[in-house]
Amino acid sequence: MTDAALSLSVVVLALALLAAAMMVRRARLWRIGKPAKVDWMAGLAALPRRYLVDVHHVVGRDPYAARMHALAAGGLLGGSAFAALALIPPLGASRLFWVAITLAFAVALAGGYMVGRRRIPVKPPRLSGGRFQRLPFFLAGYSLGAFLVALDAALGGAIWPLAWLGLWLAAAGGFGLVLQIDRGPMRHAFAGAAHLVAHPRPGRFEGERTTALLPLDLDAPRLGAATPSDFAFNRLIGFDACIQCGRCEVACPAFAAGQPLNPKRLIQDLAASLQPNATNGSYAGSPYPNARPVAGVGGPELPIVGTGAMIHPDTLWSCTTCRACVEECPMMIEHVDAIVELRRFQTLELGALPAKAAPPLMEMRYADEPGGRPLKARTDFAAGLTLPLISAKGGAEVLLWLGEGAYELRYGRTLRALVTLLHRAGVDFAVLGEEERDCGDLARRLGDEATFQRLAAENIATLARYSFKHILTADPHALHALRNEYRAFGGDYEVVHHAALLDELVATGRLPVGALAEVRVTYHDPCYLGRYNGEFDAPRRLLDRLGLERLEMERSGKRSMCCGGGGGAPVSDIEGERRIPDLRMGQAAATGAAIVAVACPQCSAMLEGVTGERPQVADIAELVLMAADAVTTLQPVPAA
Amino acid sequence: MRIAVLLSAGRHAVSGRPAPVPVELQAIRLAHDLGGEVTGLHAGPDAAPLKDTLGHGLPRLVHHRITVADDPLPSLAAALIEGAFDLVLAGRTGQGGEDTGLLPYALARQLSLPLVPDAAALAEGPQSGTLSVEQALPRGARRRLVVHVPALVTVHPAAPAALPFAFAAARRGAVEARPGLVAPRAPTQIEERPYRARPKLIAKAAAGASAAERLKAATEAASGGGRLLVDPLPEEAAREILTHLRDIGVLRSR
Ligand code: SF4
Ligand code: SF4
Repeated sequence: MTDAALSLSVVVLALALLAAAMMVRRARLWRIGKPAKVDWMAGLAALPRRYLVDVHHVVGRDPYAARMHALAAGGLLGGSAFAALALIPPLGASRLFWVAITLAFAVALAGGYMVGRRRIPVKPPRLSGGRFQRLPFFLAGYSLGAFLVALDAALGGAIWPLAWLGLWLAAAGGFGLVLQIDRGPMRHAFAGAAHLVAHPRPGRFEGERTTALLPLDLDAPRLGAATPSDFAFNRLIGFDACIQCGRCEVACPAFAAGQPLNPKRLIQDLAASLQPNATNGSYAGSPYPNARPVAGVGGPELPIVGTGAMIHPDTLWSCTTCRACVEECPMMIEHVDAIVELRRFQTLELGALPAKAAPPLMEMRYADEPGGRPLKARTDFAAGLTLPLISAKGGAEVLLWLGEGAYELRYGRTLRALVTLLHRAGVDFAVLGEEERDCGDLARRLGDEATFQRLAAENIATLARYSFKHILTADPHALHALRNEYRAFGGDYEVVHHAALLDELVATGRLPVGALAEVRVTYHDPCYLGRYNGEFDAPRRLLDRLGLERLEMERSGKRSMCCGGGGGAPVSDIEGERRIPDLRMGQAAATGAAIVAVACPQCSAMLEGVTGERPQVADIAELVLMAADAVTTLQPVPAA
Repeated sequence: MRIAVLLSAGRHAVSGRPAPVPVELQAIRLAHDLGGEVTGLHAGPDAAPLKDTLGHGLPRLVHHRITVADDPLPSLAAALIEGAFDLVLAGRTGQGGEDTGLLPYALARQLSLPLVPDAAALAEGPQSGTLSVEQALPRGARRRLVVHVPALVTVHPAAPAALPFAFAAARRGAVEARPGLVAPRAPTQIEERPYRARPKLIAKAAAGASAAERLKAATEAASGGGRLLVDPLPEEAAREILTHLRDIGVLRSR
């Protein structure tokens, strides 16, 4: 073992100790958070799989980044661990061992080169500058230096002047990297690992789509999150895990529309406010578009939201809760949970809602319906159709949940098509009629957990009075609430989306359909059906059964883009430069489709609101009805 | 400034459930924005449904407990005298409950307070002890008046929107209950009938005219063909009013 090699081992060990001290210092900040139930043993045991499978599944969507990360992280950690182990005499004396170390640092060097190549000469806007821009130099310095020392040791001291030069380089680069553990890019390495272990939604790694918002204890002394210390500690770890890759920013519809929201910046503002006397000064990524001025100061016990704090309220209310950011985040951060937690405090404690969001909540409080319309009028859309009431029948196989869309003329047409199809297929169904209250989705997303919980309890009590096999709905927001969010309040239902039911009816021949003329159609995934509930295939299968030529948009399936209608965004109405539905309609038009097929009242309303030359908007039920009519006109069914 | 906001036991216009009256919530907002010590007052059998007003920015709510058969007027009048309020705000009309919208007038008469109806905005007056009231008139017109406090002001729906509801504030707030005054209501001769919407009267001149003319007639200020008197003598004004009332048949000529 050469002297330089021995020194390298000592330097690596010293750096590791320093790194550990920095990590402990940062991790102590997490203790300001509230306690949370975490299964540490299971989390630790699952860490390798969560990292290698779940994280890499997301990272792998960008193959360059995946290779880069594998090389840089693998080489760096492997090489450093080996170099430290070389302090054990038999290992250190082995030239073969030093060959292995040389190779590891060569790999790290290649990774470091890729890190640099990605940002230099041109840094893509989604990546952060500042400390992040210095990262490739530290990486390269450390791995090149260590590489030289190891190579010299492997060669038995043949290039010793280079080795001593390398040692200084490695020490300098390594020191730079370790200093980035506290607030720089290297923080993601240990906070990310801790986040995977203590993740607030461990079900995500078990193949579940755990997307239901967690219930809030309405008797708690403070409702929602005002300060960083109001978040559970494992949420704080999540904020610290962010690597500022900007994937969430690229996916965010509000960001694209020029509204003052950038999920990456939001997470950074939250992470920054963990420490006392915090400022947002060191952030070097893209800003909130059309950012509203804020003081940019915070601390563990200081408010997060407000013009005198870190995050402007407009930022908070721009979110459509579409979960595109969560889907894209390689660090598995739960942005939507954080946003709703902050909204809960604003709404429940301060009553600080956007002016136009308050009236619908008030109507829900006293009339169980965001528009303040009579519950009786919900079935008005069906004038002239037979709409059996479950109170008259006592029970039915399928309970049709109509939702808020039933009051709207446009969506009424969809529901008429659905009801007609159900009759034609001989489905035994019924509606609640005036006993159906709003499902509370809007209230919950706007942070009004009190109204949501009351509506949930009352709807559950109503549903308990009737017997039915499952609930059918054409509204994915109601579907999500009834299927996933009512469970915490004692409502356990099998809920089917109309696309899935129609698909089954057509497949089993209960609903004969003819082929529609080769029309080009593109399907827009509703966030609450797709990303929230994992239902991507049934609507597509169904469209294919109708003989339509189906085209996919640039963003579809779980990476689909929101229509702008969720999370109360239409009522909050935060000003931007463009409108989200216009952007989405542009993507639909780019496929050359003549029809955008939708499967949600919100999507239908948002996309129908797009002006100018554009594809037609049609709900899947309307298309199925057209196809079913095609069969009856072509081959009249003989009277049985 | 000590401000009292009178709150009635309203009902939601559609669901019929107990609910705060929107215009009274707007009154709370005006009081809140004006600053000072704000108290909500209710006289009636049950104040539980009014607890939500505490979530709309009302810091304190006092409930004067009386039975359904009691007239709230004496209880409220006593409470207002005792509280020595500078300003009393009330809704323009109640909504759905027992209210007729006459209570503010009856109170003002009993307490000899000036009453300014239909305020859309309030501000401190030019001199101390005065209040500047922006009155909402039909068709969006506004008129600014200055009154000496104490005064009673009713609030118009054109006032700024109510403060959004804060659940936690309503949860924390408490209603102070006090005994009200026993004052059995005089038996009334009022006949009760279900409400029937009346057809809207369209200006006669426009009947049968073109759509544009009918629209104009329906939206334009209906000019009753009266006379505009500027700064008339009181006697002259009274005479004019009486003549007009006789002309349109409200008063019989004697
Ligand atoms: S929140 Fe996730 S996706 Fe967004 S920048 Fe951070 S690590 Fe990347
Ligand atoms: S949920 Fe959607 S709108 Fe909200 S921050 Fe994430 S990507 Fe943006």
